[in-house]
Amino acid sequence: MPDTRTAPFRRAVIGLNGGPTDILAVRLACQLARPTKAALVGVHVVEVDWTRDLSEDVASDNEAASAVLDLAEAAAERDGCRLETSLLQARDVGAALVDEAASMEADLVIVGLPYRKKFGGDFAIGRTIPYVLQNAPCEVLVVREPIASQVARGREPGVAVGAGLGPSDRL
Amino acid sequence: MSGDRAPLPGRKPGDRRVRVERPHAELFRYSAPGVLTARQKAHEERGRVARAVARAKAIMLGRPLATEQEIDERLSKKKALAIFSSDAISSSAYATEEIVRVLVLGGVAALAFSVPVAIAIAALLGIVAISYRQVCYAYPTGGGSYSVSKRNFGRRASLVAASALLIDYVLTVAVSTSSAVEQITSAIPVLHPQAVLIGVAAIGLITLGNLRGIREAGNIFALPTYLFVGSALLMITLGVYKAIVLGEGASYAPELAQQSRNLLEGAGILLLVRAFAAGSVALTGTEAIATGVPAFQPPESRNAARTLVVMALLLGTLFIGITWVAGHFGITHSDDPGGQTVLAQVAAVVYGAGTIPFFLFQAFSALILFLAANTSFNAFPRLVAILAQDGFMPRQFSFRGDRLAFSLGILVLGLVAAGLVALFGGETHLLIPLYAVGVFIDFTIAQAGMIRHWLRERPAGYLPRLAINATGCVVTASVAVVVTTVKAPPSLIVIVLIPVLVGVMSFIHHEYERTARMLALRPEQVIEPPHRRERVIVPVPNISRAVVQAVNFGRSIASDVRAVHVTDDAAGVAGFRADWERQIPGVPLVVVESPYRSLVRPFLAYLDVVAPPTDEVLTVVVIPEYVARHWWERLLYNQLSNRVRTALIGRPHTVVVSVPYRREAETDAEA
Repeated sequence: MPDTRTAPFRRAVIGLNGGPTDILAVRLACQLARPTKAALVGVHVVEVDWTRDLSEDVASDNEAASAVLDLAEAAAERDGCRLETSLLQARDVGAALVDEAASMEADLVIVGLPYRKKFGGDFAIGRTIPYVLQNAPCEVLVVREPIASQVARGREPGVAVGAGLGPSDRL
Repeated sequence: MSGDRAPLPGRKPGDRRVRVERPHAELFRYSAPGVLTARQKAHEERGRVARAVARAKAIMLGRPLATEQEIDERLSKKKALAIFSSDAISSSAYATEEIVRVLVLGGVAALAFSVPVAIAIAALLGIVAISYRQVCYAYPTGGGSYSVSKRNFGRRASLVAASALLIDYVLTVAVSTSSAVEQITSAIPVLHPQAVLIGVAAIGLITLGNLRGIREAGNIFALPTYLFVGSALLMITLGVYKAIVLGEGASYAPELAQQSRNLLEGAGILLLVRAFAAGSVALTGTEAIATGVPAFQPPESRNAARTLVVMALLLGTLFIGITWVAGHFGITHSDDPGGQTVLAQVAAVVYGAGTIPFFLFQAFSALILFLAANTSFNAFPRLVAILAQDGFMPRQFSFRGDRLAFSLGILVLGLVAAGLVALFGGETHLLIPLYAVGVFIDFTIAQAGMIRHWLRERPAGYLPRLAINATGCVVTASVAVVVTTVKAPPSLIVIVLIPVLVGVMSFIHHEYERTARMLALRPEQVIEPPHRRERVIVPVPNISRAVVQAVNFGRSIASDVRAVHVTDDAAGVAGFRADWERQIPGVPLVVVESPYRSLVRPFLAYLDVVAPPTDEVLTVVVIPEYVARHWWERLLYNQLSNRVRTALIGRPHTVVVSVPYRREAETDAEA
């Protein structure tokens, strides 16, 4: 069973990137939010490079960007909870996530950590998660993608997620 | 991107973000790449009247449900027994009465045969139940006579089975409701004059409940069956105790015994056969468990088979028990208007007339009978939907309504059953001759299908199973013949109705197949862009913004555009032409003068002359229309356009396009 020992929160921001960890993060957030009926906000950030103006319309007609939020929203509904969604354009995903969490007065940020199977397998921590860990104005939960070898041994992804959520993993 | 696009400042200098609105999000959701799913808001009506109607519908029927909200609940044996058996077990409420009603014609002595007749019917029930046990195992996906016969005999036999089933379901509603109302009026005789009204109102309420999508799996539906079974078993036990231990009840005089022996000779045998046929209505609903095998918890077949056995034992016990108590206490049916049913009389003798247990028992009897009627509201629409999916019924029967129920099937069932109750004055015994015929035809077809199944599959040890179904088939076929014969002429209505329904369904299927063949593309066919020319013709009653919009649309799709003005005002033609050429140059105008004042027919005649339907040219008739803002404006505008459009329906190689002109467009034009 996942370890869901965490302080009650009122609003959590879930960083969504369209990867396999999105559903895991949403399901975990639903599980944590249910007892206190906390609000959940799924945020997807489309990065706009410096060659384009930030206000330029990049994301509104972007099917992939909308699909990320819609699929997360559907997953939340399947788990019996409501997920608000927010689509952002920014220069940097981490900064936008942190700023959005701060402006929404969120007391929890949940982000997913994907596992890359190439080159012997490793967690692709990238630069977003470290930025969020260092700058988030609230607590942060990192949901790791199940390691391929654990899945092969029959461990369910949810169990793998839960295993990484003990007090020591609380960031 | 819409809305405020000003970047929002971040906590650090240079960190900015823009919140993006998603215009589709309110109405649609991406469910897969390239696939949008409409949200509830996209289904909402837009017109004011349509919105008001939708609101009223939501109040009456509940808010619309999404397809994924359908609940696929598996039933435990206890729950399934209650839900699937209500139809069969409730038959014990009127089956004894049907036997007594026939036997009493042979005098009081003949009533002594009510128990042997009931035992014979219970033996028949045993045979049918054992036969249907085989169906539970052979068809774990549901062994209704339609599906069994479809798999084993093909279309015609399956349609006969389906027709008989449809009649059976309609009559289940009519008979059960009528009998329920009789139980109520037996307890409260002052309600008897309103029996038909109560019956029709009850069917209306059940229809409404089913349109709201009530779930049969709910505990509330299991309760009436157990309340009835419990109170009926208690009544039989108390009746037997009073009769045997306390020595209460009627005893037959020696001369009556002699009379009963004489009865077996001559016309008496016929009377017994008629009583058997009348009482065989007790078997209705026996097949329900075999039909609903997939609804059971795993192992589905074994659980269904066991439940079927328990149901048959319960039904047999109740039926024989009630008949025995009725016979022992000399209870006969009453032909008086407002008279009590046999069941109510038995309850009155055992529990005491006017006592609380008596009223409770009558209430439980009425409840289980209403529940039995409700089972048809689940089965009938599903069967009609399957028939519609197979192309034997109009397709709209397979569409689910806002509440996931097959609304059209429910409405049709409610209307037909209510009509029958009204037509037969709410008299159960008048409806029963129609009832048992279809049921036994269904039994026979299902058992014959099983014989074919065993002969085709030939699994290990199939011979005993084959023998069981063969026995079931022969016995039920014989009973079908007997029931039809002795209940004629009313029973013949069903015999006529079945081929009529088969004919109608075959006709519908033939039509759908013919159209599908006509519309089908060959798999190897690749559709190239069309090579034929388009010719646009715009009927113009005047020069207006609506006409200009239609003409401009015509110009956007073809170069050959001409306007046709049909008029009965010869004097105004020159002025009209001058205005046209000045204001809309480049579009040839043809004026058709109509001295006989008809406007549509000369236009059609002109089309036939200048644009005869040929393969080379596609004629596009562009009709300008003014969009009415209020309901009463519809009476004032577009009458001629509507007539032209109607007249052109079905014209070969012709496409009719309506170009609506809205008030907003008018405002823009003014600006």
